[in-house]
Amino acid sequence: MNELCVPVSGITENDVAEVTVSIKGKKIKYEFRIESFPWETEETLTETKDPLAISLGKIYRLKLAIESYDKNWELIQIFNPTEGSDHVHVLYRKKQ
Amino acid sequence: MIKTVELTKAFRTDEVETTALNKVDISVEPGEFVAVMGPSGCGKSTLLNVIGLLDNPTDGQYYFNGNEVSRYSERKRTYLRKGNIGFVFQSFNLIDELNVYENIELPLLYLKVSSSERKRRVTEAMDRMNISHRRKHFPQQLSGGQQQRVAIARAVVARPNLILADEPTGNLDSANGEEVMNLLVELNNDNTTIIMVTHSPSDADKAHRIVHLFDGHVVTENIRLTL
Repeated sequence: MNELCVPVSGITENDVAEVTVSIKGKKIKYEFRIESFPWETEETLTETKDPLAISLGKIYRLKLAIESYDKNWELIQIFNPTEGSDHVHVLYRKKQ
Repeated sequence: MIKTVELTKAFRTDEVETTALNKVDISVEPGEFVAVMGPSGCGKSTLLNVIGLLDNPTDGQYYFNGNEVSRYSERKRTYLRKGNIGFVFQSFNLIDELNVYENIELPLLYLKVSSSERKRRVTEAMDRMNISHRRKHFPQQLSGGQQQRVAIARAVVARPNLILADEPTGNLDSANGEEVMNLLVELNNDNTTIIMVTHSPSDADKAHRIVHLFDGHVVTENIRLTL
C-alpha cells in the first residue's frame, strides 16, 4: 500500500494540512496545502472577444500563478474547477 | 527521442470543436521516465495517443527519433509503431480468446519473427514478469494484477525503446499496483523510455519528471530525479 486517503473537513484555501505518518515507529511528516487560483473570473485578460485568445490568457495567468508560487512547495495535482466555480484548486506538498 | 512543437489536436463534430491539446511543447530524452498528470479531460490520453502514433495531430510538429511524423499515413504510423513502441493500458486490452502465451506472442507474429526466436522471447518475457506458471490460462482466469503483468510482457516482448502506459495501475489494488510500478521502474532502469499517464501522485513520484496538463496545455513540469 502506498497511498492513504485522509478526509480533512473544513480545509480552505491557503490552509496547511500537516499529516504525520508513522511506519514501524519511523515518523514522516508531510504538509499539504490547497491553493486556489483564478480561472473563470470577470477580470479582463484581453480586450479581444476571440475565445482562443481568452483561453490562452486564462492558461497564461494560471501558469504565472504556479511558476511564481513559493518554491518550498511542489505541485502535486491540479483539479478541475467544480461546477460554477471561478477558481482552480491546486494541491501542493512541502518539499522534504 | 520525442519532441513536440505546438502540438494541437482538435475533435470536430458538426456543431462543436473541442481542442484536446493546445500548442503542447514537450521533449523526452532516451531513458527518461516521464509522468503526465492532470484532471480528467485535460488531454492526457490524447497526448499519449498522438505520441504513440495511434492518432495524428491536427496541427504542430511531432518528431519521433528525429523524424517529423505528424503527417504520416496510418500505414506508415503502424510500421513505425511496430517494435518501437509498447503500450500498457488501464483495462489491459488482452485478447480474451488467446491464452497468456499467445497474447504475449502476438506482436512478434506481426513482426514476422521466426518461431524459435518467438518461443525464446515469449519465455523470457513471461519469466521476467513472473507469469510463466499461467502460460496456458486465458485472461478471464487471471487476477487484475496478473493480467497487467501479461500486458506488460506483451508490451516489452518486441523490445521497444519506448513504453507508453495509460493509467497502468488504475484498475488494480494497491499491492498489485505497486508491483506493476516496480516492473515499470525496472524496465526504465534497463534504459527503456517510459511515458505514463496517471492520476496517482505516488505513481508519479517514481518518474524522473512530472508534466502537468490542464485544459489541453502544459502548465508546468516538476523535475524530481535526474537521469
